[in-house]
Amino acid sequence: MTESLATYGLYFLIGQYPNGPLGGLALTILLGASALVLAMPVGILLALARISDWRVVRWPVTGMIYIVRGTPLLMVVFWAYFFLPAVTGKKTGQFTTMLIALAIFNGAYLAEVVRAGIQGIPWGQTEAARSLGLNYGQTLRRIVVPQALRNMLPSLVNQFVTTLKETSLGYIIGLQEVAFIASQVNSQVIVHPVAIYAALALTFFVLCFGVARFAGWLGVRT
Amino acid sequence: MRLMAMACCALGVAAAWTARADQLVDIRHKGELTCGVLATDEPMSFVDPQTRTIVGYEVDLCRAVARKIGVTATVKQIAVGARIPELQQGHVDLLAATLTHTRQREAVIDFSLTTFVTGQKVMVRRDSGITNLPQLAGKKVVTVKGGTQEANLRKVVPSVDVVTFETAPQALVALQQHKAAAFINDEVSLFDAYAKMGPAQKDFVILAQNVSTEPIAMGLRKNEPAMKVAVDAALRELEASAEAQKWFFKWFGPGTRLQYPTRNFKIESDRVPD
Amino acid sequence: MGEFDFSVVTTGEFRTWLVSGFLLSLQLLAASWLLAVPMATVVALCRLSSVGVLRGFGAVFVEGIRNVPLLVHMLFWYFAMPELLPEPARNWLYEHNAEVVCAVIALALYSGSYMAEDIRSGIRSVSATQIEAARALGFGFLAAMRRVVLPQAFRIVVPPLISQTLNLWKNTSIATVIGTAELMYQTQKVETNSFRGVESFGVATLAYLTVSLVITAVAVGFQRRFPVRAI
Repeated sequence: MTESLATYGLYFLIGQYPNGPLGGLALTILLGASALVLAMPVGILLALARISDWRVVRWPVTGMIYIVRGTPLLMVVFWAYFFLPAVTGKKTGQFTTMLIALAIFNGAYLAEVVRAGIQGIPWGQTEAARSLGLNYGQTLRRIVVPQALRNMLPSLVNQFVTTLKETSLGYIIGLQEVAFIASQVNSQVIVHPVAIYAALALTFFVLCFGVARFAGWLGVRT
Repeated sequence: MRLMAMACCALGVAAAWTARADQLVDIRHKGELTCGVLATDEPMSFVDPQTRTIVGYEVDLCRAVARKIGVTATVKQIAVGARIPELQQGHVDLLAATLTHTRQREAVIDFSLTTFVTGQKVMVRRDSGITNLPQLAGKKVVTVKGGTQEANLRKVVPSVDVVTFETAPQALVALQQHKAAAFINDEVSLFDAYAKMGPAQKDFVILAQNVSTEPIAMGLRKNEPAMKVAVDAALRELEASAEAQKWFFKWFGPGTRLQYPTRNFKIESDRVPD
Repeated sequence: MGEFDFSVVTTGEFRTWLVSGFLLSLQLLAASWLLAVPMATVVALCRLSSVGVLRGFGAVFVEGIRNVPLLVHMLFWYFAMPELLPEPARNWLYEHNAEVVCAVIALALYSGSYMAEDIRSGIRSVSATQIEAARALGFGFLAAMRRVVLPQAFRIVVPPLISQTLNLWKNTSIATVIGTAELMYQTQKVETNSFRGVESFGVATLAYLTVSLVITAVAVGFQRRFPVRAI
């Protein structure tokens, strides 16, 4: 078993890099972080649309959010994989496909988190800001959203952990993330499936549990 | 004057007609047969990096056909999409370019006798006792998602239980873990996987029967009956003298990476199913 | 893109495949749910018990399962776990739809761990005086739970449980990676054989959304009929 670790350890951690694209655990973390970073502006925009006074904005966005949340993430990934090239006009790789699918899916979930966060800020804050002469946009940008973000940190940490786990679906479209590589290693080694898949599970456990604990240590109460 | 012109025209047409209808005569006159090959499809036709010449199974066959006709062969590399146009325009006399004999293509070109048969095969666990395709009825067979394997197998064995996985290696793992009785895939990938198994090979058998067949043949220009007769005759002689078999084993047999244990076709027919 | 022809995927063999996939997805949902809820209740009670070992077991169970993606669970239970079984058990499993059994195990454990947390926080939100009063009246721990706390926790716990049921429904799609012929698997098969991506994925998306809608409607209906009462 330890020979397997030595032979395939580096492949598991960083994939084919530098002889090929980045893969493995490094790719999982990169994809998870990038997807969450992209999902934030998507979530904020959708949340603002959800609380907007204009029905023509509120209703389609609410409908879209309900559709995305009622569909399995795997389905969203397939839609992105098959139809993104047709929409954008160029062939998108698996990483880009997963990134966009995760950003949209998590953006729809974050919209609820952001909405709750914004609506949780006492009305007095907005009143004070408006009476000081700030307009709608400035109030949001300078007063409401920064405070809301601080309240949302625990949910954001949870969403990051969820996103890290969701990157594993890249396996199905052939993205060389850590679960795909573990399966490839297993198909070469054959005789140690329990050890290999247990190691894969342990990797995710350490990663996700570690992120939550680290956030707790930083003071974020999840 | 006009009569002379017409006679010349008639003679010219007759000459052109006979010239066109006897490519074989032209070739014999030139002393050279031009073979169109891909040169990028090992081991059918490819460039040997040591000698930097084009070699391969189809190259050997084409050279032998030329020899039987009584001329020398010139090997010309052509692109996949350019195969039929180059033949039709006369830049090559014959196609030896991994060309599948299909009904649709019969409308534009002729085919020689089938020179190679490839397709999809099934690898079974030895302890399942399955020795032919019909015995797969009701049994579990694994393969990869997204290909023609499942559909092709169902055509042959309608009651088979096919389970597909995201990648072929994943399906192979399922077979090796005894989750299924058999694994179907493209012939060349199957032999490659079998070769990589090492000592575990004794537990598995690749059934010789093809689930789907892809007949490869030489491409010939249409309306050249004499040429087709000559090429087919040459191929039959090569088959009878066992030279064709020798080349098969040279490029696909036990000493090569592909290691086909047997040759399950003969060069004898140009009939293909619909 | 050319013309869309939905009749291709809604008739004949393709329709048979999609319908059988949809039915299997529903069966996966039902089987996993029926296993997960009791398991989750037991684990939640373990985490709330006064016995340290039980609390530790509960914590390890929940954290160990929740921090691992469902796809990895599926791969583990199908490709790794059976190799640990003795050969007669393994052969029995392979002869009896291993793909479905392993998918149900993975789904039940994964959902169960999330449900355990929801049940635990629901029980904790029942005022402590209720338990104290019950114990003072002579009820043992389990009896107090069964007769006093759980019935009150019920209203609080059901909405998050319905939300987990919705997640469970969507998660059944991941079983496709271990060859379970549920709706996502059949949709991929239809797309391969019909070359009609939009139509096949469109119909499947609609199927998923319909059941999601039903589950959400149940949630809304429940909250209207049984609103949480403050005691």
